[in-house]
Amino acid sequence: MTQRIVTAADLDKLVAGWAKSGAVYAPVEVKDWTEFRRIVSLAETDLTRVNTKLSARGLLFPHCETMFRFEASRPDKAQEADEPETQVVLGVRSCDAAGIAVLDKFFSGQGETDTYYQRRRDRTTLVGLSCHAPADTCFCSAVGGSPTGTRGLDLLLTDLGGRYLAEPLTDKGAALVKDMPEASASDLAKKAELADRAEAAITERIDTRKLKGLLDTADGNPIWEELSLPCVNCGACTFVCPTCHCFDITDETRKGKGARIRVWDTCQSCTYSQHASGHNPRLAPSARFRNRTMDKFRYTVDQVGEVSCVGCGRCIRECPAGIDICETVERLMLALVK
Amino acid sequence: MPNPYLPLSVKVERISIENDARDLKTFDLAFGDAGARKSFHFTPGQFGFLSILGVGEAPFGIASAPSEETIKYTVKRVGTFTTALHELEPGASIGMRGPWGNSYPFELMKGKDIVIVSGGFSFTTLRSTIVYLLDPSRRSQFGKLTVVYGARSAGELLYKDEIKAWESSPDLSLRLCVDRLDGAPWPETEGLVPNVLKQVAPSAANAVALVCGPPVMIRFTHPVLELLGFKPENVFLSLENRMKCGIGKCGHCNVGPKYVCKDGPVFSYKELLRLPTEY
Repeated sequence: MTQRIVTAADLDKLVAGWAKSGAVYAPVEVKDWTEFRRIVSLAETDLTRVNTKLSARGLLFPHCETMFRFEASRPDKAQEADEPETQVVLGVRSCDAAGIAVLDKFFSGQGETDTYYQRRRDRTTLVGLSCHAPADTCFCSAVGGSPTGTRGLDLLLTDLGGRYLAEPLTDKGAALVKDMPEASASDLAKKAELADRAEAAITERIDTRKLKGLLDTADGNPIWEELSLPCVNCGACTFVCPTCHCFDITDETRKGKGARIRVWDTCQSCTYSQHASGHNPRLAPSARFRNRTMDKFRYTVDQVGEVSCVGCGRCIRECPAGIDICETVERLMLALVK
Repeated sequence: MPNPYLPLSVKVERISIENDARDLKTFDLAFGDAGARKSFHFTPGQFGFLSILGVGEAPFGIASAPSEETIKYTVKRVGTFTTALHELEPGASIGMRGPWGNSYPFELMKGKDIVIVSGGFSFTTLRSTIVYLLDPSRRSQFGKLTVVYGARSAGELLYKDEIKAWESSPDLSLRLCVDRLDGAPWPETEGLVPNVLKQVAPSAANAVALVCGPPVMIRFTHPVLELLGFKPENVFLSLENRMKCGIGKCGHCNVGPKYVCKDGPVFSYKELLRLPTEY
């Protein structure tokens, strides 16, 4: 598809236009971090920082979502919730877009299609933004991604200094910038140079190619006790993760009206796997820690054909106990080859 | 595409108290129209979610056979949802969604002897299985059917009238047992399920075992089956893990890379040997 050039002034106009026909979300500065918020003008955004506090997953799989409503007087009759708005998400980093591609597989790529995820996904256009200066916690290139990766996106923007190279990846993405001028060979060369520099700036490394065979026998290894010692099972890692998809379903009723809602849940909570009888198959904190690590690097390989860590580094940044998932995997591999 | 989270409306036709402790009730559910019942296809071993809007929902194994008109669930009262369910009166409307999960491996079981081992109130999907296998149109496709079913006491055995009739049926060999004889005239065998299974000693030659029961029963049943010569690939267990969605999305019921809801609830012992024992 034709690559185009969008100046900052053009992007401003485009955003204003998108905001008229639907919602636009982009990273916005909040205290000392950024997060995806609804905007109407480009001036509200901060597109420079890596990376938003939470991933973009919440725009497709909200932290809290109404599944359907009901009235207490008719406890057998569910009324479906309103259809979501169309939305453009601007400034999605490649790691987050890759995370959405993994969520696509979980929610709609196998078995039953998740109605609530799919109807938001169908109404969403993802506009990515290449990373020039990855954070010191970033390791996308170690898990199959890249600071300029396009997987999951409809359009990728690369900041060439006051103007953006726009690479459409889907028809939906191409339509957004169809009236913009074509990019020149020197624009493409500049992007390639920026991409190389960003890739070289990534220092966190794990070799996931070796993992699959090794992790086949990792579940029962005593090393998990040691690796999980600092973990307090707070679940922060799971809430900031772009690929975590666990949720709880609960009913809320007030003044005769009620709703069945779903909210993010975490496998780090001790009640997550607790049976009604009180029996708990993953009571030990180390078992919960192992479950999360193994899920990212081994279980999802069986489930959806790939490692489900996209290297965004958020779990490293947000962990109150200072646990670094790359270090965990490295120490695990050392224990397994012993 | 239908929304898999939306419960279908069903009517509670009949509620039966199953045990002396009165904490196990069987609910017979009927669809409003015959078409909805027809399109609710299931195979024994599958489960459904029962739902009371405003209270919540929970998964239960289907206790009726596909040939039966109503959909039957036997539920123990343990928490908020099951208490609300137990408080219902016949005629109430509730929600149901499913059927979810795989089933017992009937294709593999064809032409083989079948040994069913069950303890306590886990007998539900195995009742479904037995009724299914005893169907005159199907019985000849399977070999000898041996059932060992036990409970703490006579009053805790499920489906008493039905199992009494099965005791004298030529189509299956049923051994009922209780942990301790308490003077009740029936059943006659005292003993824990694994020990009784050892006495009954069904042949493992060309046979498949289906096991469902509390974790402690399962733990002691495996060595007996092994002793009798059952290979892990011919032993099938039905697992129950906490779950929220039933369709492999919410994450809760995972055992390593497997979801009990979607990849199970029935697993061969051979499969389970490769997984962490998180069930």
